[in-house]
Amino acid sequence: MSGTTRTRPGPADPAEAKRCASWIVAVAATQDREAFAQLFAHFAPRVKAYMFRFGGNSENAEELAQEAMMQVWRKAHLFDPQKAAASTWIFTIARNLRIDRFRQRKHIEVDDSDPTLIIDDSPLADEIVDRDEHAVLVKSAMEELPADQKVVVELSFFEDLSHSEIAEQLDIPLGTVKSRLRLALTKLRGGLEGVS
Amino acid sequence: MNIKHHPTDQTLMDYASGKMSQAMELLVATHMTLCPKCREKVAEFEALGGAALETANVMSMDAHALDHVMAMIERETANENVVFREMPSTRRVAVGESITGSAIPSVPRPLANLLPDNVLSLEDIPWKSLAPGVKHYQLKSIESKGTVRLMKIAPGVSIPDHGHHGHEMTLLLKGSYIDEIGRFRAGDVADLGNDVDHQPIADTAEECICLIATDAPMKFNRLLPKLLQPFIGI
Ligand SMILES: [Zn+2]
Repeated sequence: MSGTTRTRPGPADPAEAKRCASWIVAVAATQDREAFAQLFAHFAPRVKAYMFRFGGNSENAEELAQEAMMQVWRKAHLFDPQKAAASTWIFTIARNLRIDRFRQRKHIEVDDSDPTLIIDDSPLADEIVDRDEHAVLVKSAMEELPADQKVVVELSFFEDLSHSEIAEQLDIPLGTVKSRLRLALTKLRGGLEGVS
Repeated sequence: MNIKHHPTDQTLMDYASGKMSQAMELLVATHMTLCPKCREKVAEFEALGGAALETANVMSMDAHALDHVMAMIERETANENVVFREMPSTRRVAVGESITGSAIPSVPRPLANLLPDNVLSLEDIPWKSLAPGVKHYQLKSIESKGTVRLMKIAPGVSIPDHGHHGHEMTLLLKGSYIDEIGRFRAGDVADLGNDVDHQPIADTAEECICLIATDAPMKFNRLLPKLLQPFIGI
C-alpha cells in the first residue's frame, strides 16, 4: 500500500527547475531513458497524489500517474522550455488526463496553429520570460502565503470543488473563500511583479 | 483587435485548474485565441498549478511502476511505425473570409471544432429563429452541465431580457452591443456573476453575433412565454 507522505522539496532554485526541463528535452531528443527515470522519480508521486484527490482510490491514482508519465514520454517533443517550466507542463498533462478520464471529454484548448490566433505584437511581448525562474518564484510566493490563503489555492487546483463547496469543506462563508482567493492572487501577482 | 473586456481572473484560474463546465471552457478558449493577454494570464495560473503540484503531498508509486511504464514504452516503440508522435490537429478553417468591419475574420478553432463541418464562417451557421430580429444556434453540448449557444441579433434589437442562476459569459464575435456595463466589441467578454439581469442592445447598424455560455439554463423574463421554453430548449 502506498500512503500519502509529506512532500520532498521541489526545485528550490532555477537551476533545479532547469534540470527538470532539460530531462524532458533529452527524452524528446534522444529518448534518453536515464532522464526519463529522473523525471519519473520526481513527478510520478506528485501526479499520483493529484489523481488520488480527484479519484479517491490509490489503485486508480497509480494507474493514472503511470499513464500521465507515458504521455510525458510521448509528448516530450511538444514541450517548449520557452513557454512553460517542466512542472507547469506536467501539471497540464495531469489536468487534461484527469478531465479525459473522470469527465470523459477533452479539455478545450487554444490551438497554436489556428490561423485566427492573434499574436501580441506590442514591444513588451518581446521580453523573454525565463519560465524556470518564474516557476520557482511562483512556488516560493505560494509557500509564503498565509496558511488560510494557501489552503484555498490548493483546494482550487487539487479538488473538483466549486467555491461554495470549498466554503462548506472549510466551514467558512462563501464570501471568505472568495476574498481569501482574491488576496492570494493579488499577493502572488504582486510577488512576481516585484521581482521582474 | 482592441479587446477591452476580459474574463475575470477567477474565471481564468478556473479554466487553468480544469474545473469549468465544457460550455464555459469553450468560450474562454475562443476568447484566448483572440487575446494574448489572457493566454499569458492562463499560463501564469498553470504555473501556479505546477507550483501546487510541487508543494503538495506526494504519494509513493508502486515498486515496479517505472519498469512497468518502461515496458509499455518499449512495446509502443516496437510498434512505432504505426503512430507514435501525436501531431497537432490539422482541421482546416478557411482564412480570410471577407473581413466585414469588426467581425472575427474566421471562426476560432475551439469553436469551429464544435460546428458542423461545412460551416467555415459565421455566415454559414444554420441559424434558427428565436424571436423577431433574434436568431440562435445551440451548440451540441457536450456536457450536460451548462449550455452554450450562438446568437445573432439584428441592429437595434435587444437580446431578450434575461437573468440567470449561476455563471454566464458572453463573447462578442461580430458587431457591438451596449448594456448596463458598457460597450462591447468583437473579442470582448462580459463575465457576469450570479443573478444579474441585463438587456444588451445591438447598438450599431451592423448585426451582432455572440457566443453565450452558462452554467445553468438561461431564463428569459419577457418575450417568450414560459410554456414555450421547454420546446425550444432554452
Ligand atoms: Zn482577454
